[in-house]
Amino acid sequence: MIPMALMPIAVIVFGQFLPAYPLRILDLVLLYAMLGLGLNIVVGYAGLLDLGYVAFYAIGAYTYALLASPQFDLHLPFLLVLLIGAGLAALAGVLLGIPVLRLRGDYLAIVTLGFGEIIRVLMNNLDGLTNGPQGIARIDEAVIFGWHLSTPLDYLYLLVVLVVLTFLFVWRLQESSLGIALAAVREDQDAARGCGIDTTGVKLVAFATSATIGGIGGVVFASMQQFVSPESFTFWESLSIVLVVVVGGLGNPFGVILGAALLVVMPELLRAYADYRQLLYGIALVLIILARPMGLIRREYGPSWLVRRMTRA
Amino acid sequence: MLVFDHVTKRFGANTAIDDVSLTIRPGVITAVIGPNGAGKSTLVNMAAGSFRTTSGRILLDDVALQDLPKYKIARAGLSRTYQNIRLFDGLTVLQNLEVALVPRSLPRLIMQAFGLSPGSSEAEARSDCETVLQRLGIAHLGERHAGSLAYGQQKLVELARAIVARPRAILLDEPAAGLNHGETDELKAHIQALRSPDLAIVLIEHDMKLIMSVSDEIYVMARGAVLAHGTPEAIRGNRQVQEAYLGQPGAMGTIEAAARGRRNRIRVRAGEGLAWGQP
Repeated sequence: MIPMALMPIAVIVFGQFLPAYPLRILDLVLLYAMLGLGLNIVVGYAGLLDLGYVAFYAIGAYTYALLASPQFDLHLPFLLVLLIGAGLAALAGVLLGIPVLRLRGDYLAIVTLGFGEIIRVLMNNLDGLTNGPQGIARIDEAVIFGWHLSTPLDYLYLLVVLVVLTFLFVWRLQESSLGIALAAVREDQDAARGCGIDTTGVKLVAFATSATIGGIGGVVFASMQQFVSPESFTFWESLSIVLVVVVGGLGNPFGVILGAALLVVMPELLRAYADYRQLLYGIALVLIILARPMGLIRREYGPSWLVRRMTRA
Repeated sequence: MLVFDHVTKRFGANTAIDDVSLTIRPGVITAVIGPNGAGKSTLVNMAAGSFRTTSGRILLDDVALQDLPKYKIARAGLSRTYQNIRLFDGLTVLQNLEVALVPRSLPRLIMQAFGLSPGSSEAEARSDCETVLQRLGIAHLGERHAGSLAYGQQKLVELARAIVARPRAILLDEPAAGLNHGETDELKAHIQALRSPDLAIVLIEHDMKLIMSVSDEIYVMARGAVLAHGTPEAIRGNRQVQEAYLGQPGAMGTIEAAARGRRNRIRVRAGEGLAWGQP
């Protein structure tokens, strides 16, 4: 437990010495880590490819943008909107899940991809509500019990707390009976049904839980950027989060966090090579996947494994 | 008690099961035998919910199974093993068994995952799993991944998974297939040990030695119908069965040939679809 508990403290201490720009990058790493941990429930635990995760992220972000900005001159408190955004995302997860979770594999991937696009196109075209492509600006800064979050360092604190909570939650989920049920669905859905697992039901729970985390991430994103527009929620964004999970390690929370660090930091490091940046990024990803097809950290080397190791030693 | 009540199954024009009625009593081992294509596996698959019946009812202690979804059939107390092993390869042996004991109610599952309900049932489930593994002599494999085990061990794990939830009926679909003599003897002991007053056991097998030594009752099927029913002695002494299936290779060949012939006809018809209407 101790090395795990030290990690967040190390991140906070590290953050104290960083200038604003790298600090922003670190915030993004944590945001993507949180999104990745959420998506990992569906992709890593249940083995369902969800290519529309960004939709839930967008729902969270727009919820905050609409309820805490001059757009309708509503300025609801951050924590309240966090709950509303999480709830709406969960609801969207259930509503999307009911029709699509009968599908498997490629079909599920295509339908979720379509859902992601639908939400983005809606945001782009509901001009009266969302300002369309111009987006919503001057969104309120987050205020938590009188604490105004205005600098990247403030958000670092918030994000560290959220990532830790999400991490503990998904770890607990993985080890629970629900986690076992999801693993059975991933390994052999028919045999799982033969063992009495309500496969549609548990997949729906996974979908909604994952959506909730995406929604929370969206609310934080909107308050951090103080601006949202449909451009932030393209298919590319969904794909990036899937990559965080797959490159980092399917089903492994440690892997997901490492994946987030790699996928956020790598493009920044490649900025120096301007024109070749995307090319180099692509090549690097291919190489990583070839070298580590199971992800940077394999499924079995998760938090429970670490705890077992530490207690045995 | 597991009852097949006038069950029929058609696949297109082909009748796989034709108005079959079986009664499988608890406390005894009931074998279902017959040549390939007799419809044994179709019966199992219908009871477990993999196929829907065309007509007829399947009852487990008065609960009608034929229209229930697969997972509810399992919850009603019917479990099975598969002809081709179907374990959760990436999970450990213990986890494979825990799948069968996952709490049934979705809200309860959610509460547990959120850490809001006392986790005692998880610990209880784990000790149930360990007990069953011990009974089958594979407790030492608990932490191994199911996919990494030898074939015979996997068969035992599948059996363990099928009994850990304390079913009221269990369908063993060719449990001895692919096992060597030693493993078959071990399996025989385990099957005999399954006998309990409130468990109906169905054994589908080709290994006649195993069947004659463990079963209390035998149904002989051929071409989708029940040919004979009785104790192993009665079946052994039944002239019709002897002629058709057991004693004389020639007679057994006839049934096999008939089954093959039926398949061939279908294939020919399918292949010559255009010639169908012509005399």
